[in-house]
Amino acid sequence: MGEQQNQEWNLLFPLIPAIAIVPILAIAGIEPIDLGFAAIAAPLAMFPVVLIVGQLWNGNETWVSRFKEGGVLALSALSVSLVAGLWMVLDFLGAGEKKAHGDPLTWLDFDVLGHDGTQWTIDTGFTNISFGIWLDPISAMLLFVATFLCFLICWFAIGYMTTDDINSNRNHRFFAEFILFSMGMFGMVLADSFLWLFIFWEIMGLCSYLLIGFYYWKESAAAAAKKAFMTTRVGDVFLMVGLLMLYDIYGSLDFSVVFDNPSTGVGDAPVKASELQPALLMLFIGCVGKSAQFPLHVWLPDAMEGPTPVSALIHAATMVNAGLYLVARMVPFVDVGYYGVAGMEDLGIIIAWIGGVTAFMAASIAFVQNDIKKVLAYSTMSQLAYIFLGLGSALYLISTGHRYEGLFVLGGALFHLFNHAMAKGMLFMASGSVIHEMHHAHHELHHHQEHDDHHDEHFDAQDMRYMGGLASKMPVTSIAMMLGSMSIIGIPLIGGFWSKEAIIAETWLGALEYEPLLLGPAILAVMTAGMTGFYMSRMWMMTFAGEPKHEAASHVHEETLWIKTPLITLSVVTATTGALLAFFHIGEFLSGKDYSLGLDDFEVARALQIAFLPEKQALMAVGYITIVLSTFVGPIIAMKVHGGRLSEGQEANAAVSWLVGLSGSFKKIDVSGMASSSLSESLRNRLHFDDLYAWGISKTIVPMAKFSAWFDANVIDGIVKLVERTSIQGSHWIRSYTTGSTRDYILMAAVGALSIFVLIVGVTV
Amino acid sequence: MRMKASVRNVAIGLSSAIFLLTTLIFAGTIGQIDWLSIGMGDYVLETEDPIWLIESIGVTWHLGTDALSFPMIWLTTLLIPISMLVQWDAKDGHSFHSLLLIMEGALIGVFVSLDLFVFYVFWELTLVPMFFLIMIWGGEDRKYASMKFFIYTFTASVLMLVGILVMYFNTATDPNFAGTLTGHHFNLVLMTEQSRVDGLITSEGLRHLVWLLLLIGFATKMPSVPVHTWLPDAHVQAPTAGSMLLAGVMLKMGAYGFLRVAVAMFPESTLTFVPLLVFLGMASLVYGAVVCLGQTNLKRMVAYSSVSHMGLIFLGIATMQPLGFAGALFMMFAHGIISPLLFAVAGSFKHHYHTLEIGSMRGIAHHSPFLAGHMMLGWMGSLGLPLLAGFVAEVAIMIAFWMTFGWWVLLPALTLIFTALYYLTSMQKMIFESDDPHVGILPDTMHGEEPRDVTWHENAGMFVLGALTILFGILPFIFWDMMSAWSTDFIQTYLVHAMNMLEASP
Repeated sequence: MGEQQNQEWNLLFPLIPAIAIVPILAIAGIEPIDLGFAAIAAPLAMFPVVLIVGQLWNGNETWVSRFKEGGVLALSALSVSLVAGLWMVLDFLGAGEKKAHGDPLTWLDFDVLGHDGTQWTIDTGFTNISFGIWLDPISAMLLFVATFLCFLICWFAIGYMTTDDINSNRNHRFFAEFILFSMGMFGMVLADSFLWLFIFWEIMGLCSYLLIGFYYWKESAAAAAKKAFMTTRVGDVFLMVGLLMLYDIYGSLDFSVVFDNPSTGVGDAPVKASELQPALLMLFIGCVGKSAQFPLHVWLPDAMEGPTPVSALIHAATMVNAGLYLVARMVPFVDVGYYGVAGMEDLGIIIAWIGGVTAFMAASIAFVQNDIKKVLAYSTMSQLAYIFLGLGSALYLISTGHRYEGLFVLGGALFHLFNHAMAKGMLFMASGSVIHEMHHAHHELHHHQEHDDHHDEHFDAQDMRYMGGLASKMPVTSIAMMLGSMSIIGIPLIGGFWSKEAIIAETWLGALEYEPLLLGPAILAVMTAGMTGFYMSRMWMMTFAGEPKHEAASHVHEETLWIKTPLITLSVVTATTGALLAFFHIGEFLSGKDYSLGLDDFEVARALQIAFLPEKQALMAVGYITIVLSTFVGPIIAMKVHGGRLSEGQEANAAVSWLVGLSGSFKKIDVSGMASSSLSESLRNRLHFDDLYAWGISKTIVPMAKFSAWFDANVIDGIVKLVERTSIQGSHWIRSYTTGSTRDYILMAAVGALSIFVLIVGVTV
Repeated sequence: MRMKASVRNVAIGLSSAIFLLTTLIFAGTIGQIDWLSIGMGDYVLETEDPIWLIESIGVTWHLGTDALSFPMIWLTTLLIPISMLVQWDAKDGHSFHSLLLIMEGALIGVFVSLDLFVFYVFWELTLVPMFFLIMIWGGEDRKYASMKFFIYTFTASVLMLVGILVMYFNTATDPNFAGTLTGHHFNLVLMTEQSRVDGLITSEGLRHLVWLLLLIGFATKMPSVPVHTWLPDAHVQAPTAGSMLLAGVMLKMGAYGFLRVAVAMFPESTLTFVPLLVFLGMASLVYGAVVCLGQTNLKRMVAYSSVSHMGLIFLGIATMQPLGFAGALFMMFAHGIISPLLFAVAGSFKHHYHTLEIGSMRGIAHHSPFLAGHMMLGWMGSLGLPLLAGFVAEVAIMIAFWMTFGWWVLLPALTLIFTALYYLTSMQKMIFESDDPHVGILPDTMHGEEPRDVTWHENAGMFVLGALTILFGILPFIFWDMMSAWSTDFIQTYLVHAMNMLEASP
């Protein structure tokens, strides 16, 4: 097995020329900013190749073994994007400029008819919609996240997808859609206008739809795909209306025009908050849909029907960040200290509330999930909500003139985005590794036994109730999952801790000092921190600690190299983000004076201070309560319920054995009573949102559609048919006078002649 | 027998040659035309010395094209060979493909005539081949459908003819037409010029009446709610090639005529009736989409989606913005590529699975991956996915609509949700959900036949249309630029004056 895997490294040779493309372009004199086009074009060009070649060579030996059904081609395209992305980011950081903007290409030219006060005239100054590349600290960070994770997860997918029989002869479709998605993500991050952001946003939505429905024959997958597309579509329609409103205000959707001076619109007219705020709220509804926030959150858990690499990439690490990215883009609009429009405090408060409510709701639903991917899905929802909370606080603080605090929490929120994307991408891949091995172990077991008696049909490779004790079988996965969970929980000094602490502290600051309305989300955020500690630990304990709860769980093997490599890479990233922050002053790298990552002065001292020794006593209390809740209370309860030592004779890797041992040392508590309560029942039913929406649709849209179809066929067309019938009857009636009998004709002629005579007499007399 | 078989080779060769010709004209190789500087009223490739056809009443053979009609001509010449290709194996191909050639002539005639009489003749002439296509190659209920199609649209056109005649009798005398008995003429160029300078009909009431008569004719062709019910019947019964041409080009005749005749000749009436246009457009768009949701027949659903999309054209015109006009023009073009793709998909589905019921066949993705791919692309193009042709038109019309009507834009915007819903539902029930990865759920109409993918010629036709949908979605400026320049000039020359007049007289 190992030897065969070693030989598979040969498959990576096509990557070498691909990686060389970008340096060659750069040496040939292409501006670094224009490499963005290469980053977008490489996957776009590879998409039809993989799709069509895959369809034509379906099942071909070379195609399967050498190209991994297109996986290697996809990986090469993504390596071009990765190198281009890294090149751009490094060049950008090196240049020390605030933003870079490539020359835009004109896409649509048009003119505008306007009223100049006295009469209508056409503004001959040509207006246009163009496409260019825009790089500032926010997009640079996201570009790195997107290219890096797309590459790693594609790598992982080659190992994950091609080893499952059910996928064979279909994988080309997977890889084609995967790179089309990547193209959409790179495009969205690099686009220099709101319109192009929306265009790529929708492309991602399409790919999300296609990939969720990858197992098209499954009714649940088909329904989930449709649900995801429709729910985000609802948000997207509002987003589109928001774009129209923005266009009307600024006369353009280009970042360079809009952000040049957000307080003056088209024709230098001052922008009113009463016009801009609704537009931004419309955009925010789109973000709510895309990032699966309350009340448009229902699609994300169902989206787990897709293959696990898809969940890792699209539904955890990249696409769902699109909404956050767009909200972060709203900062210049409200920045009253810097050409912003005053009077838009409500925007931030609304966003913060949506974030707080979603964080709490999703975390509570995650308590009762048994499907390992569903836990992660709700965790994603909850963590994205944290970021929304941070962005909302940032918008509020900046719009009220507290720029320093605002930019600090903006930086914290975006840093959380980074940490979450890395950790959650890795967690999903680790869960994929577990599912993959569980599935195979179960399959093999079934094969070996070959007994006729009842085979457990109910086995579900994703159900944590069948797992347990995997720490000894899957050392790499268990370490990766531990580190990822620690980052998400916010264990001090690891990844997500820094960013989460910043979000919570600054939200409390805003709540206590400036706006009591923020108190609600602030309290929810602290509670959620503790809950996160519980459900993430619960997931780890159920999977890796204790004794195997199903035969399959005791027969799993270690992962293949395809799967291990990205896990190890991301483990290193997650574990060292805090250290990077400390030793290499990453904050200074990422900072810039305008809407940068906002990590101005975000040095370790400041970070440590905000976490452990804030200026205010109240904030210090909040900080320590958060740490205690998330680090101790949540995990310990989880260990008491789900922890346990491994079976006799099993040894866990040293890095995790302490944790397994710790979990076994607590006194167990029984929660079966609580698990059957009505609260946990309704949590299992996802608080009935799905039922409510389904009921609402069945009572409104379905009858309306049926009625309209009936109305069209029977009333509108009924009238037409009535005319038809009447005219046919009329002709029958007239025809009945054509009797063919001479007597009748003579009579008719006589009547006719008489009436003509009467008429003539009447006219002349 | 051999001759019969070679007829289709001749037909497709001929139509491909015509397509090549129009493409070369567009590229500027033939004629060296600068398409970007054509205003409304300037025509290129115009007949220099119009030939008398009926001298006594002033009918001349006078042709020309501009940015409004040329994309439609190009589209016609494109769709004819493609629809031949899709139905390459049609029964009695010799007459089938010949009828398509007649159709091509009539359709191009409509778009190039600059004489209203000739325009009307071509307009009615398009009905004849289509009538026979439905009547002979149609489905079970083809007799009823072809009759309804013919009589319904013919009746509406007759009302339009009345309008045209009123216009005719109001034309001023022109030295070129001194020899006619009536002293009047049907020349569209002169009429448009007259209406711009003096107004074609002085009496406001009569002008409005004529405008409404024209609207009835054009709106029925488009078709707009409530005069749309001929369309679903005709589409469901028509053969695939017939449906493709019907949806692709014939519906656009309505929008084309409306802009060229009604809007250009009677700008004041158009401005007066903007609320009516918005109402008709909204009704078609919203109501059409909701009706789509309630359909169970694939072709019926696609037909109603055409009604819905045609509503957007009225909305684009109603904005009176260059962007809205250009969006409407681009919608005519984009829908002209996408809807034939939709009908080709539906037709091929019927061809291989012998049914049109949504949900009777599941798991197309397994049995006919190419058909599933084309379906996915067509459906996505029609629901307005970015980077596909339809989106450009949609977003342009939406922006213009917001500029003119503000929050009313929520209605068309929310309709996009319905559009997505019916398309996605139909895909879910056809491409997906087969329960088994290795076999689909086959309809009863298969009678044990082995399910298969589309034939090579269907595949080729759909492939071209799909590629164009992507091409014009990514590079819309190929046609957009000339449409945008023309729209600006049109509004500048014909409508701005009328707007300022209306404003001056309260």
